[in-house]
Amino acid sequence: MGYLNNGVVTVDAILTKKGRELLARGDGSFRITQFALADDEIDYTLYNTTHPSGSAFFGEAIENMPLLEAFADETQIMKYNLATLPRGTAKLPILEPGFASITLKQGASLTITPQTLNFLGASQAFESSGYTATVADVRLLSNFTGVGINTAEAERLNASSTLGTNVSKTVVGTSINLTGTTINTLFGATNTSLSSTLTLVGRDSGARITIPITITKTN
Amino acid sequence: MSFKQFDTEDIVVSADSISSIVWSTGNYQLTTFFTSSTQDSSTSGDYYLDVFQTGSTLTNAAVQFSIAYGNKDGLGSTPFNSNVAGKSPSATVFGQYRSLVLGDEESDFTFGGVTSAKGIYAISLDRARYKEKLLPGTFELTIKSGSVERTLTDNSGMSTVVTFTDAGRVYEVISGSNGVSHDGGTGYSANNGSYGKFLPDIGVIILNAAAVNAEIGNNTLFETGSSATNGNNNAFLYEIIELGQNFKINAEETVSSNYVFVRVRNSEFNYSNNPSNISGSGEIRHSSMVNNPQAYITTVGLYNDTNDLLGVAKLSKPLLKDFTKEALIRIKLDY
Repeated sequence: MGYLNNGVVTVDAILTKKGRELLARGDGSFRITQFALADDEIDYTLYNTTHPSGSAFFGEAIENMPLLEAFADETQIMKYNLATLPRGTAKLPILEPGFASITLKQGASLTITPQTLNFLGASQAFESSGYTATVADVRLLSNFTGVGINTAEAERLNASSTLGTNVSKTVVGTSINLTGTTINTLFGATNTSLSSTLTLVGRDSGARITIPITITKTN
Repeated sequence: MSFKQFDTEDIVVSADSISSIVWSTGNYQLTTFFTSSTQDSSTSGDYYLDVFQTGSTLTNAAVQFSIAYGNKDGLGSTPFNSNVAGKSPSATVFGQYRSLVLGDEESDFTFGGVTSAKGIYAISLDRARYKEKLLPGTFELTIKSGSVERTLTDNSGMSTVVTFTDAGRVYEVISGSNGVSHDGGTGYSANNGSYGKFLPDIGVIILNAAAVNAEIGNNTLFETGSSATNGNNNAFLYEIIELGQNFKINAEETVSSNYVFVRVRNSEFNYSNNPSNISGSGEIRHSSMVNNPQAYITTVGLYNDTNDLLGVAKLSKPLLKDFTKEALIRIKLDY
């Protein structure tokens, strides 16, 4: 992974692993229709509100930083979305999934019903467009579905499946159902657990949280 | 909202033609040529001869082009069965290219108006080298025997009308360079019409064996007799190309690009969920950012309707965004 030359402003664009998968699938799912912006790599503690040269220089340490090239792994990029909120917003939405981490035995199920704090004037709310949930390695879950959002796009996404390697899977819903895999061969000869991550993003707020998920072997 | 829908005019598909080097050496001109004795002595050697840019056993060796000899009457190679005249590798090669280029088993190749040609040399460029098609006007091949040499090119620089065959565009191969003849004339051989056909869309150059051998080979075409065995005519063309030390050509490729215009209004995307910007309960770290938020765009995510992240674009430096700024970011995606 290299740095981008920031002597001039350029844009380094690549397809993600998921994008290549959907392009290969050829079913029309590779169709760019919307965008989001993120500020990955930015450390706002570098924003210096006591800079002696004045407010024009508060962001000096951030504005000149070199940025890394794009990652192809869709679960490792677009981590911190920028949100469109009313001016004067003092508290930003944050997600409360109800779990700091998830540990499931093989075959065990769990339902997550995330909530968003500080959203639309409420201290705690469910987002009307639901939440996207992305598991980084779909092989760990025998069932991974979203319920509660019944748009055609959400239903098509929830019904899609990918066989094979450790690609991510994204579902949409107000609640997310998980079931640990029962396939022993994934554990190999010595592993007693498998680990991945579950990323939840509020579709209205853009708030995001990533929590670790572990599947433990039972037999 | 953290997602914004594109308008129809925000995504534009553009097809652009680009030209590039053909040879594995990275140069426009190939001056050294090598063959593989293993390939030459194998069954495929009866039909064609692979030509490499370096010794064929070296790790970076790659086939650059192949040479094949075809004859309408099956002359110049050993019959498959001694009791069946006219059926030999050269007949197979001739039929193959006649079918490919003319699309009619009754037709003969016509080189610059002369239709008597029964023998052809086919130079077929490796597809990995030229990718999509060859670029007319860049072809230049020197063939040499003894002190006699000819530099051949296509006549695209002199043609006012492009002719098409079953194999796409076709140009005559003439004596000259850069798509035009040396003397301002047709550039054809003295008595046998043009030197061949240049077929850029299939990456093939067909040479008129009669013209080549009359002008360069001192009529040493191995059609009959003890020398008319498999591979001898291929070896002859290879030899005069190797002596010529000059094969230039460029490739042409159409690249389809998606131009995506990301338009960010002043009121949009001004707040950041970055953990370094908020406390554990969501409060903005810097109080001055409550009424005057400052966000730094580093990444653009391109999504489909179901929020799958299809592509990402990274800026080379952070782009400040606040309520007084708008941004237009152009992203180019090549397929």
